[in-house]
Amino acid sequence: MDALTVEDVHKVYGDREAVKGIDFSVRTGEIFGLIGPNGAGKTSTLRMMSTLLRITSGRITVCGHDVATESDEVRKIISYLPEDAGAYKDLTGRAYLKFMAGFFADGAEAEKMVAYGMEMADLGDRIDSKVDTYSKGMMRRLLIARAIMPAPKVAIMDEVTSGLDVINAFEIRKIIRKISEQGVTVIISSHNMFEVDMLCDRVAMINDGRTVLCGTPGELKERFNASNLEEVFVKAVKG
Amino acid sequence: MNHLLNIVRKELKELMTIGSFVSVLIMMFVFMGAGSMMGDQGESITSPSDIGFINGDGGLWADRTEEFLISIYVDTYGISEEEARGFVKVMDIPLDDGAAIVEGMRSLGLDAAIAVGPGYSSNLDNGIRAVISEYYIFTNPGLLGSAGSSITSLMIGEISDRISQALVSEIADPDLTPFLLSPIKGTDAHTYIDGELHSGVRPLDISMGVMNQTLMVPVVIMMVIMMIGSIVISSMGNEKENKTLETLLTMPVGRTVIVTGKILSAAIMGLVYGIMYMVGMMFYSKGMTDIGGLGGSSPADLGLALGPVDWLIVGTMVFLAIFCALGLCMILGAFAKNYKAAQTMTVPISVLAIIPMLLNMFASWGSLPTAIQIPLFIIPFTHPMMVMQNLMFGNTAVVLAGMAYLALFAMLTIFITVKVYKSDILLTGIGQTKLAKAFAGKRIR
Repeated sequence: MDALTVEDVHKVYGDREAVKGIDFSVRTGEIFGLIGPNGAGKTSTLRMMSTLLRITSGRITVCGHDVATESDEVRKIISYLPEDAGAYKDLTGRAYLKFMAGFFADGAEAEKMVAYGMEMADLGDRIDSKVDTYSKGMMRRLLIARAIMPAPKVAIMDEVTSGLDVINAFEIRKIIRKISEQGVTVIISSHNMFEVDMLCDRVAMINDGRTVLCGTPGELKERFNASNLEEVFVKAVKG
Repeated sequence: MNHLLNIVRKELKELMTIGSFVSVLIMMFVFMGAGSMMGDQGESITSPSDIGFINGDGGLWADRTEEFLISIYVDTYGISEEEARGFVKVMDIPLDDGAAIVEGMRSLGLDAAIAVGPGYSSNLDNGIRAVISEYYIFTNPGLLGSAGSSITSLMIGEISDRISQALVSEIADPDLTPFLLSPIKGTDAHTYIDGELHSGVRPLDISMGVMNQTLMVPVVIMMVIMMIGSIVISSMGNEKENKTLETLLTMPVGRTVIVTGKILSAAIMGLVYGIMYMVGMMFYSKGMTDIGGLGGSSPADLGLALGPVDWLIVGTMVFLAIFCALGLCMILGAFAKNYKAAQTMTVPISVLAIIPMLLNMFASWGSLPTAIQIPLFIIPFTHPMMVMQNLMFGNTAVVLAGMAYLALFAMLTIFITVKVYKSDILLTGIGQTKLAKAFAGKRIR
């Protein structure tokens, strides 16, 4: 069964159509990459998947639940990590994880969830420091830990390694592979096509609000006789 | 290009938005309106009004006092003697019957009357200071309106001066100099209020006393509303800037719960701030009362004290007003894209809090014209600010209507907030709409 389906989705803001027809599906346990240039419609699509924005037309389902009509059910099984997200600056890392765990469980179960989150964040003693003292890499590790600690069925991450140094980006990708091995479906968006090539099982290329291509990185590279996804994208868009 | 000029141009371009100018314009109109209202009140004080004259003596000096009063109208207001006689209403009522005096004043539509009693003329003839009594019907016209009672006192002083001049020209006894300089004791004031005639007070004293007791609540409410408004709107701006709001909105929790949680926590903070300010203001008020002459009359001594039920009503009104303010702030905060934008969003809330507070300082609900009462009623913060005065003076219908309106307003704002939280506006702002493009984004060129 597909963990997520996106069928001819459109999104209009005022008089501007940001998403003009996007289709793809994501299989359970896959790491799926949504790639495209800035302004292609990736974030709008992820926000619609995450119940944050209303879908103008089309349909999105998560594990069989319609995002538009069963948003409460969808929120129980997804985790969304926005691009450049932050945490509440006056809280410590531990308090932030506790606050977030409180939405999913109580008592011992919540404690267990926080312990797992702390393990994933791997911040050592700094977990008890205030969030506003964290570096960008530490903040991202905390947020990823927050996103995966409630064991979501689908994790949606927008530009997850954007702005991180090589070491931190590497660590984050390791975490993503790990949770995928545990059965979590991961959807990431990125304009870094090399990262997606390394990480994703399948990708959908988006340009100007439309799906241009969909397939495994290997298939796409072979089809366009290209050495990397960036080349594939340029050939697909420019013909 | 000059570097300084380059920076100034860029900064001005950022700062000179239509939004910022609208905020300042609104404040300008508020102060203009308040000034105009005070001017109207001042004009009504300085224009001649009817006054009653009760002659309980029948002697020569009583008649001359009436003539002096008429001549004072002529000199003060520049009107003819005939016109002045029209303003001075002679009342034939026994001075020992306070109720009859009040009834007589009411029947003639008078707010003030002066009276001379038996022995008035003989006292003046015999070198004994005489008494002119003042009678007022308190109609709660606010501080400015009540200032009219001072004019009556000033008139009595002027009458005393004219009697003094007349006496000096007729009596030349150096032993009587103190009497000749001040032949009238004008300290016998009586004010009818809430069914009872109180001696020793004038309307201005009562207004000052009431204001001392009731000013605290509007000031505290204004400060609390401005403070929590700023906190809530800024917090929304921060949540958006840090994208914590996006994360929160994808949690498995209803939007109503998120909205209620935010409002409730801010309301608790508002109450804490309110109590702290109230304690501070109580000390301030006590200090003011302790300064002689500034305290006015105690409303409790005049039977205007608030009972436990009244205080419960005041508390409920304040709580509802805080809820209304928070609802409005949540709606405005939803449109703020970031912390900086949030700062300008607090202006409408501040304006809505300042308008009734300013009006409350100078006028009472009953003294305002309907054209001002209607917009004032619509502003939710008016009701808790004027509730104490309205309760003191028995305007129960206004209090109950205000409470019902506040409850409805609070529910409506929370309903709209939840709707906004369920819409795209929370994330996209109004920047994406045609209206916003036509207005909010435009800069002054």
